[in-house]
Amino acid sequence: MNNEELTNYFDEQLFLPDLMATSKDELFVELVDQFVKVKYLKNRDIVLEMLRQRENLGSTGIGKNVAIPHGRTTSAQDIMIAFGKSRQGIEYDAIDNKPVHLIFMIIAPPQDQSNMYLPILGKMVEILNKAKNRNKLLEAETYSEFIEIISRG
Amino acid sequence: MEKKQINLLVALQDLDMMIEEISEMKRLGFNTEREDELLKARHDLSAKIKKPLLFSYEKLKKRYKRAIVPVKEDNTCLGCFIKLPTSLSSIGRTDSEVIYCEGCGRILYWLT
Repeated sequence: MNNEELTNYFDEQLFLPDLMATSKDELFVELVDQFVKVKYLKNRDIVLEMLRQRENLGSTGIGKNVAIPHGRTTSAQDIMIAFGKSRQGIEYDAIDNKPVHLIFMIIAPPQDQSNMYLPILGKMVEILNKAKNRNKLLEAETYSEFIEIISRG
Repeated sequence: MEKKQINLLVALQDLDMMIEEISEMKRLGFNTEREDELLKARHDLSAKIKKPLLFSYEKLKKRYKRAIVPVKEDNTCLGCFIKLPTSLSSIGRTDSEVIYCEGCGRILYWLT
């Protein structure tokens, strides 16, 4: 998985640079509703339940103001990633207890033929571990700026 | 009635996929310390599913990695990729019955 390949899993309709949510649950609803709105998902309640169960396993707040909520669901047909940015920050029970500002929600189908789900997750973690990428993402206002950062990662 | 059951079954498969991938998540550095909670949630969810349907799901899981598969917009089963009859799709879309693929026997879940 290289950075260029990763950009194929983003969509401008799933780019939310100014989230309204103020809590983790509101955040999940806001992002999942966007997936439903652009017809990537059928059943929002099933997906929300899956994401909440995933959080019960352990927080997907990986620290440094970043969260990557993720999961496979039978309710999805393709792998897609939504990006959201919260200016005020969201309390997320992250590993470093800091609020999150950058959120990447990854939704994958039960089986993807090329099995890209885990490589995508790994690549996202790699990109977001770099402070310069996080700083640039915090400043990105447009989808093209955002994609540029991901593709250069 | 069936709509609720198929949704519970889909939620169960989503949980099973999560449980399967715990070690991969750990390797990627994600927090997975509360595995017991997930196993408890699976137990509680299973109890809400009718026994024959749960039995059918568990049996299919022994044969296939995924017991329930989505059906694409063009009426293709994403398990075996056969084209499903239109008559089946019109029933399937309502989630009013649990429908099995005529090709592979997996449980079908319509996305549109």
